[in-house]
Amino acid sequence: MTKTEYKALRFTRIHVENWRNFTHADAELQRRVFLVGPNAAGKSNLLDVFRFLLDIASVGGGFQEAMRRRGGVSRIRSLAARKYPDIRICTHIGNDENPTAWAYELSFTQDNQRRALIKSERVARNGTEILRRPDVKDKSDPERLIQTHLEQVYANQEFRDVSDFFASVRYFHIVPQLVREPDRSVGKQNDPYGGDFLEQIARTPERTQKARLRRIVEALRVAVPQLKELDLERDAKGTPHLRGRYEHWRPQGAWQNEEQFSDGTLRLMGLLWATLDGSGPLLLEEPELSLHPEVVRFIPQMFARIQRRYGRQVLLSTHSPDMLRDEGVGLDEVLLLLPGGEGTEVRAASKFTDVRELLAGGLTLAEAVLPRTSPRNVDQLSFSFAD
Amino acid sequence: MPPEHPLVISGAVEGPTDETVVRRLVKEAGGSLDRVYGKSGKSNLRQRLAGYNRAARHAPWVVVVDLDHSADCAPPFCEDWLPQPSNHMRFRVAVRAIEAWLLADHERLATFLSIPAVRVPADPEALDDPKLTMINLARQSRRRGIREDMVPRPNSGRHVGPAYTSRLIEFVETEWRPEIAAERADSLGRCRMRLKELIDDWIPEA
Repeated sequence: MTKTEYKALRFTRIHVENWRNFTHADAELQRRVFLVGPNAAGKSNLLDVFRFLLDIASVGGGFQEAMRRRGGVSRIRSLAARKYPDIRICTHIGNDENPTAWAYELSFTQDNQRRALIKSERVARNGTEILRRPDVKDKSDPERLIQTHLEQVYANQEFRDVSDFFASVRYFHIVPQLVREPDRSVGKQNDPYGGDFLEQIARTPERTQKARLRRIVEALRVAVPQLKELDLERDAKGTPHLRGRYEHWRPQGAWQNEEQFSDGTLRLMGLLWATLDGSGPLLLEEPELSLHPEVVRFIPQMFARIQRRYGRQVLLSTHSPDMLRDEGVGLDEVLLLLPGGEGTEVRAASKFTDVRELLAGGLTLAEAVLPRTSPRNVDQLSFSFAD
Repeated sequence: MPPEHPLVISGAVEGPTDETVVRRLVKEAGGSLDRVYGKSGKSNLRQRLAGYNRAARHAPWVVVVDLDHSADCAPPFCEDWLPQPSNHMRFRVAVRAIEAWLLADHERLATFLSIPAVRVPADPEALDDPKLTMINLARQSRRRGIREDMVPRPNSGRHVGPAYTSRLIEFVETEWRPEIAAERADSLGRCRMRLKELIDDWIPEA
């Protein structure tokens, strides 16, 4: 497999059963995915499926560690689950030409010591099964079922690409305060909340670092037109600081560092850095936070252009109608999370026949789909707590 | 040389591409587009037009709207939408859509899209759907980037590609020549003329 082909791989389908608030959810995934739904519909929980696979496949991770980070099977299992207590995750990896280059499936439950136990693990390449567990060895030694083959270098040789792909997933939800006060996150590596964001930039080889900062300034022109230059400098104690030169009435302009950047500017810089850093799927939690609506509406376009260049998949959750104002956002790229009594349902906007009509009649995509994502029978919520 | 203190003008448009176009036109006429309202589609703009028109009693305003198929030509459309424009209101109509103004600089557009210039229609204002023409031209581009950004994917259910808007904005900001385009797009020529008058004849209120 050549490098470019590898880059173009993406999650093409996700299927989960009994995962958190999804009793049963199934969706095709495009290169951009917008997860839209009301509060507590499960946007983060759906993103967490991909983080879970990342945790299993990454160095220092593994199945048991991924479960530990989530508080065990009972925390993950859907509350609506009744007859089918196994939790099941199935995902396809591929590209437009071959959407099922790989399929990975994992189902698990817990034993009577509340330990997570694998019920089945399957891998298929181009539709041909190359791993099926439990196998003979698992049956003779059930202890083996506390680990996936995915996490084991000697066992995943035949599907190392799947393991590498899961390990390339990045999750990102920057908190500006943590960027400004790196002392709070000492020792953290690749902190998704931005605690070591400046260190990450500092660790990047200088040429790459400068090139990326230049591209960030370029991309930020829409949002922060006064910003002319960005660089990274270490202070006397060796702590890195991000500095920006702003156009100003002084002929040389004025330099400011991350403490003076606005929350929005800092988040946007983090967002852009994350998109330029790495090539695997990027998971973003509400990238619109602290940003002006006029900036938010350009985010989908920005990702579209990054994707064409780097083939990188972006999956993001959003609450923002502005994100969906862009007329180039495909109906198959928008997944609606619809809460209901039997858990949340996931459906692409393209599955609703009337959405196209509403768009043709001049509504924006946001106007056409957001009313669908408000929970039905909200009033009944109060009854459910009555005795 | 741009004037030291250009006249500050407010504007309202249908979307971000139109904003970039109007910004360039105002700047070219010697003004500066300050606040831009609307940008949420045509019907939204229409609902707020009365408010913009009131504001234009006291300060210079420009509103640009696509004619589309709302009327056969611009005059009845203006009569319908804004029968009594305020003194400082310049209500302009793009025939039939702002894309026609961009198609009108056929040489630069052909270079930008990487297509032969002869493929760009010579009379963009006669086009039924200039946006569709733009997309069909992009479809013929020799550059994959243009095609993937501007042409919609088959199952997207949309009329434009994922980065259509930002490509057009890039074109307007870097390549487009309004003075050349005005030769092939009459509604653009009129818009430029009215903006120039607005700015040149402006007498600040005491």
